[in-house]
Amino acid sequence: MAANSQGIQTLLEAEKEAAKVVQKARQYRVQKLKDARSEAAKEIEAYRAQKDEDFKKFEKDHTSQTSSSQTSIDSSTNTQLSDLDKAVDKNKDDVIKKIVERVLASDPKLHVNLKKIEA
Amino acid sequence: MSRSGALDDNEIQTEMNKMVAFISQEAREKAREIQVKADEEFSIEKAKIVRQESLSIDSQYEKKKKQAEVGWKISQSTAINTSRIKVLRSRNDHLESIFEEANKQVQQLSNGDKYKEAIENLILEVLLKLLAPTITLTHRPKDSDLIKKASSTANKRYKDLSGRDTKIDLDSALPDDGSGGVIGASLNGRIKVDNTLEERIKILEEKMLPELRHDLFGVNENRKFYT
Repeated sequence: MAANSQGIQTLLEAEKEAAKVVQKARQYRVQKLKDARSEAAKEIEAYRAQKDEDFKKFEKDHTSQTSSSQTSIDSSTNTQLSDLDKAVDKNKDDVIKKIVERVLASDPKLHVNLKKIEA
Repeated sequence: MSRSGALDDNEIQTEMNKMVAFISQEAREKAREIQVKADEEFSIEKAKIVRQESLSIDSQYEKKKKQAEVGWKISQSTAINTSRIKVLRSRNDHLESIFEEANKQVQQLSNGDKYKEAIENLILEVLLKLLAPTITLTHRPKDSDLIKKASSTANKRYKDLSGRDTKIDLDSALPDDGSGGVIGASLNGRIKVDNTLEERIKILEEKMLPELRHDLFGVNENRKFYT
């Protein structure tokens, strides 16, 4: 029956075509999984770059804050030093006089725990 | 199959086409199913990877931030400390120069009037400290006359105050370029009381520090307790 074998041939070819279609879909799936990884990597890179930029800005903001606080510390130090110098200049002579006076100042007394020995 | 014999060619062809179409349809449906599932898995997998990595990146940058902040705090604290040290060093320098000047003036004291009156008191202090029956007073040679007079007056005052007697020996062993005063010794030189002007100002330099701080630099606002 020639018609039979031809029919079977047709069916076999149809099966072959069907298998190709399914195979294509399977390849699509494999590709999609690879794409998932590579697209995720891209998004992650973008995220990291953003975070890095934010951090750099954070650092920069603080650097400017640090330098201004350093300036204010320096100026406060200088104020303290100059106030100190002024105060010392004002009081120096009196202080020296006080010290020198006390070197000779003396009020001798018998020790509190002792009693005078009466003859 | 109610007919006898095989189907004719047309019917065969129709059946054939139906079967081919069916096979093809099945395949396409299966393929679509696979595709849809693939798209789903794609989204899930991608989201999972992104979320994991994002969390890890977040924690990395948090750590970086904290370290940076700690570093800034440290340098701020260092800057403040350096500033404090500068001020303290300046105070110390001022004190040193004041003491230097005071010491110079003390060296001249023995040339003044107050010295003669004071020397008696200084001797009396020594007697009252030692409380011994025999005392040796060491002094500068140039003070010999002064000490002789002063020590006998001091001895009398000592008797008045304490009721005790003491014998005073004089020794001019102090160097003449010293500032003055006396050193008293008892028990064969084993107990000494140093009442020279050098020693006195040394003691003053130490004991007067709180008072000097107050006089020179003002009150300490941070201080809470005073005896």
